[in-house]
Amino acid sequence: MNEALLEVNNISVSFDGFKAINKLSFSIFEGELRAVIGPNGAGKTTFMDIVTGKTRPDAGEVIWGEKNFSLLNRSESQIAQLGIGRKFQKPTVFEEQSVYDNLLLALENDRQPLSVLFYRRNQSDDAKIEEIAAEIGLADRLERRAGDLSHGQKQWLEIGMLLAQEPRLLLVDEPAAGMTLEERDKTVALLRRAAKTRAVVVVEHDMDFVRKLDCRVTVLHEGSVLAEGSLDHVTENQDVIDVYLGR
Amino acid sequence: MGGVLTKFLMKHPSILVFLGILSVFTLFVTVGSEAFGVGFISTSLVKTLGKTLCFCLIAIAMDLVWGYCGILSLGHFAFFGLGGYMIGMWLMYERTRLIVENSMANAALPPTPAEIQEAIGTQIFGVVGGAEIPTIWMFAHSLPIQLALVALVPGLLAFVFGWLAFRSRVTGVYLSILTQAMTLALALYLFQNDSGLRGNNGLSGLQNIPGLEAMPQSELSIYFFLLSALALGVGFLIAKLIVENKMGNVIMGIRDNEARVRFLGYHVETYKLFIFVLTAIMAAIAGAIYYPQAGIINPAEIAPIASIYLAVWVAIGGRGRIYGAVIGAALVSMLSSWFTGGQAPNIELGPLRVVWVDWWLVLLGLSFVAVTLYAPKGVGGLFDLLKTERSK
Amino acid sequence: MLRIFTILMAIFFAVTPIVGQEANDIVATKLSIAVEKNAPNIIKGSVKTASPIIAELVETDDPAAMRFLSLWQEKSLWYRKTDKRIFAVKEQEDGSFDLLDFNNLEVVANLPKKQIKQIKPNSGLRALIAESLVAFRLLNEDKQVRQEAVANLARSGKAQHLQPLRAALLIEQDQVLKNEMQRLETLLTVQFGETSQERVEAIKSTTDSLSVDTRANLNRIVATQIKLNSELPETANIARVISPGSTDFSVEQAYDLLIAADLAKPIPTVSERKQLLIDNIENGKVDGFTIHNLATEKNRDAAYLSLVADGKVPFWSPGLNAEILVAQYEFVEVFDEPDANVTTAAMAALDTIERKVAMSEFADVALDGLSLASIYFLAAIGLAITFGVMGVINMAHGEFIMMGAYTGYVVQQFITNYTVSIIVAVPLAFGVTFMAGVLMERLVIRHLYHRPLETLLATFGISVALQQLAKNIFGTQARPLTAPEWLDGALVINDVISISWIRIAIFGLSILFFVVLMVVLNKTRFGLETRAVTQNRRMAANMGINPNLINMLTFGLGSGIAGIAGVAIGLYAKVTSEMGGDYIVQSFMTVVVGGVGNIWGTLAGAVMIGFLQKGIEWFNPANTLAAQTYMIIFIIIFIQFRPRGIIALKGRAAGD
Repeated sequence: MNEALLEVNNISVSFDGFKAINKLSFSIFEGELRAVIGPNGAGKTTFMDIVTGKTRPDAGEVIWGEKNFSLLNRSESQIAQLGIGRKFQKPTVFEEQSVYDNLLLALENDRQPLSVLFYRRNQSDDAKIEEIAAEIGLADRLERRAGDLSHGQKQWLEIGMLLAQEPRLLLVDEPAAGMTLEERDKTVALLRRAAKTRAVVVVEHDMDFVRKLDCRVTVLHEGSVLAEGSLDHVTENQDVIDVYLGR
Repeated sequence: MGGVLTKFLMKHPSILVFLGILSVFTLFVTVGSEAFGVGFISTSLVKTLGKTLCFCLIAIAMDLVWGYCGILSLGHFAFFGLGGYMIGMWLMYERTRLIVENSMANAALPPTPAEIQEAIGTQIFGVVGGAEIPTIWMFAHSLPIQLALVALVPGLLAFVFGWLAFRSRVTGVYLSILTQAMTLALALYLFQNDSGLRGNNGLSGLQNIPGLEAMPQSELSIYFFLLSALALGVGFLIAKLIVENKMGNVIMGIRDNEARVRFLGYHVETYKLFIFVLTAIMAAIAGAIYYPQAGIINPAEIAPIASIYLAVWVAIGGRGRIYGAVIGAALVSMLSSWFTGGQAPNIELGPLRVVWVDWWLVLLGLSFVAVTLYAPKGVGGLFDLLKTERSK
Repeated sequence: MLRIFTILMAIFFAVTPIVGQEANDIVATKLSIAVEKNAPNIIKGSVKTASPIIAELVETDDPAAMRFLSLWQEKSLWYRKTDKRIFAVKEQEDGSFDLLDFNNLEVVANLPKKQIKQIKPNSGLRALIAESLVAFRLLNEDKQVRQEAVANLARSGKAQHLQPLRAALLIEQDQVLKNEMQRLETLLTVQFGETSQERVEAIKSTTDSLSVDTRANLNRIVATQIKLNSELPETANIARVISPGSTDFSVEQAYDLLIAADLAKPIPTVSERKQLLIDNIENGKVDGFTIHNLATEKNRDAAYLSLVADGKVPFWSPGLNAEILVAQYEFVEVFDEPDANVTTAAMAALDTIERKVAMSEFADVALDGLSLASIYFLAAIGLAITFGVMGVINMAHGEFIMMGAYTGYVVQQFITNYTVSIIVAVPLAFGVTFMAGVLMERLVIRHLYHRPLETLLATFGISVALQQLAKNIFGTQARPLTAPEWLDGALVINDVISISWIRIAIFGLSILFFVVLMVVLNKTRFGLETRAVTQNRRMAANMGINPNLINMLTFGLGSGIAGIAGVAIGLYAKVTSEMGGDYIVQSFMTVVVGGVGNIWGTLAGAVMIGFLQKGIEWFNPANTLAAQTYMIIFIIIFIQFRPRGIIALKGRAAGD
């Protein structure tokens, strides 16, 4: 078995005495698709905050890649540049800018201000953007203002932006929220395709969606891992039934 | 490089339109001036117009930092003032030196360098009870160095302040208050007599350019007007180059969702700092061209209120569109001087008499509230309406 | 006895050849004799000639003599023009004057005003007389007279007053007066005590007092002069060796001492040398040097040296350096007071007192800081509510403060009783600004809840309009808001620490506000609903809370408090249309530094900023502008390390 891509060891964090994450350990391998489920307040979002550098844990370690890089004390942008992409709960695309500009912003390129300042549009970038746009089904909407897209389209645009970043690990927070059934299926297909070339972690409430992803599932509860395994395996776990499914 | 610029201009014809209008206006004023033309535009009006162009330039800076990058800086007039002080030091020092040397030429003994220095010191700092020339004036004799300082000093202040503020993720209204505090601190510091910059007397006589004593003000005013127009044109071009580029995408992204940009891997702080420092330098250059036309600079002009008015101009003109800032600054500052100058006809309403000198600020304040409430896109937003009408 | 009397009478008549009948009426006393003898000098009234007379009169130890001196001092003595005899007088209804014998105040004659003339001693002489009377007056039955005498002593106590003062001290009944006498006795003993032992004891006992005159007294004892050591006698009471070039003792001063002692000649200064060069210009040359070459110090020096060589100007050479010259001598600070025991004790006492004064000053600064903190708290607390609870930044907050202050001013135009007017003004100011706040919330802020930066600008527009409106209505000059009498003056704790009653009242008001707001926000239904709306607007609305109403009331409350703060601030500062601007930045700082969203934070912020500003002013009292500058810079740096303020809310809720 090869090394884990991301390894989270025994992290804890508390806000004003409330333990949001409690000795959580978690690891994911290259090219793996993983679903994380859990009731409200289980610490799913805080877990993502910690991995992406938004929140600093009180204890524990977060280790990245083959070289066993610690992600603690690194800024969000550094972590993003290392290859961790994140999609937020609410679709957050830049509504004032065109779909093309949104994807251009995300496209894997030098992020230094000077190279951004003297950036010139080129064919290889345009080709990449068109390819991604086709993948997320927005090829004919490149010049449209992102704010004018439908809710589902925005979600896909955001996933497209993640893909454009070419991350090695994708953290996706509730991608199916507010989507129609048809849109959901498209999203599932998108994520499964993405997981072929990179690791993907999907946080989701919706059991049907998780079932369709057809992957290993981690159940969080009160800031720690309650169970892990296939969806069928965890749904048979009595603890899981008690705290989550049996509600 | 030239090819790139041409291509860029072709893609954004609005720049050419703007530069065209600016050129025509400049030509019109020159032809109408007393020194070079038929003379129906008075020298003082030329000066006012030149100063207004400087205001337009700082408004562009403000639009970049606020309209595009989302940082409501209440401190850009501080940079404007600092730029003015930097050039003012050279103007005042050199002019005083010439006067002093002239007056000492007929002394019984020719003056020694130390005597000249002392006389200059007394002449400049007598009003604050000093005779020694403070260390910060050590380069005041050199125009090239002071010109460099016009950009360096405000740039450095903006860099240090911005680095501290952005690093600790102070955003939104907090950042605005912090910039306001910075401005207040600077103004209070300059108000002190031992600030080395003549306390609340400020620097004066800046309209007299050393070495150009023979040139009449009518002629000088046109040169400064042309310089202001040139600076505005260049500033407009630079601003457009920035915002109509990937840089523009990044900073607008920062304005709309800072965290998202960060998670895309951009070091947001560096970008903010870049824009903050760049616009501070633009403001400083505007100030350095403004004050030789105004003739006097004092700390009161740096007070936080000036920077808030700057935000008002940009908001009235319309944020997030560079020409909007120019329109706002020109419109409001010209109207302001028209109303407060007592030129506006007073309104007689029987017993009630509206004296505009007294009531202009009330009107401005209220109209500003109205613009914020009902026309958040400002005057520039009207152009958008026209555009959409036509495309329909 | 009889013989003495006859002799006196003989002298009397010999000296004063006057009309027999009248002479018999005059009681011949030591006083009369002395007065007759010195009449011309008394009338002339110069300090120099009069002082021996005063001494002579005081020595008689006669109450009548004291009365005579008092009359003299009060310009109540007159003399008859014909024979220069001196009388007290009493004016009659017909304009004539009764002449009274100054021994017993009996009438001896009556004359028209033309024939007599008033004796008018000058003020120097009057002071001299008053001083000489002090000892006597200390025993006067009238308490007022004794008080005046003591006050006179405090101003100009002399060695000869020490004994009378001690005597008076023994019989003084009034405790206050006795304490003051005791204090003066100590001070006089410190200066004029007979033995070194006695003075040292007195000096040691002064250390309880922090008063300015005690310190002045001790400082007088330790006063020094700088002298050349070689010029001093063996016995000189030397304080310390001092080297020229320090801040207290410049090289020039040292060199002047050398010149005075004939140990050195004056060195021509740069400007003197220049003048001498100019004086020696002949045909465009100075001793062979052409003038236009003399534009450097070096060439001027060369020209001067050449003049020196010709003996035309005083000697000078570049090596002639005052610093080197004075370094060859030892300079010392010498006490004026010769007694080393006394000076040592005085130095020690001053040390002790100064330490106590420093401690008191520290306490005083702390009180100032507390008072400033409470003003900032008052100014900021309304803002903390609107900004902290609602997230709305109100740039017109300062103008609400101004509105409150002007409300107070207007009320005083109608109600002249200051106490009543203040009692009326406080709720009225609250009402006016509450309404203004509600109006503003309804008309403007409500529409901008999701655009905080634009709220800032819109409220700024309102601030500009309100300020100009106030200027148009009330003019640009400052209007007074007068405090009731019972708030006048200050609470004096000792000679150093004092605090004005208005500031104490403001402090009390801040405490009251703090408590009331804590109760309102934490214990009432309104507070609960406010917090609910703050935390989750939609959820609160679902639970039957009307968020619009709550926002409106919260904004009104914040504004109303600004109004009351305006009355309080107006009481000690001036009411102008620009007063709001003086507090707005500090108020924002207070809220931001303290931590947005709770009242404890505002309290902490106000305390920090208040103390900081006073603390910085303490280190550099001459420059309050610099103090403010440094304070703001400190705050900017502080925010770097605690961006959420002193008392910060943590967690996810605070972040987004």
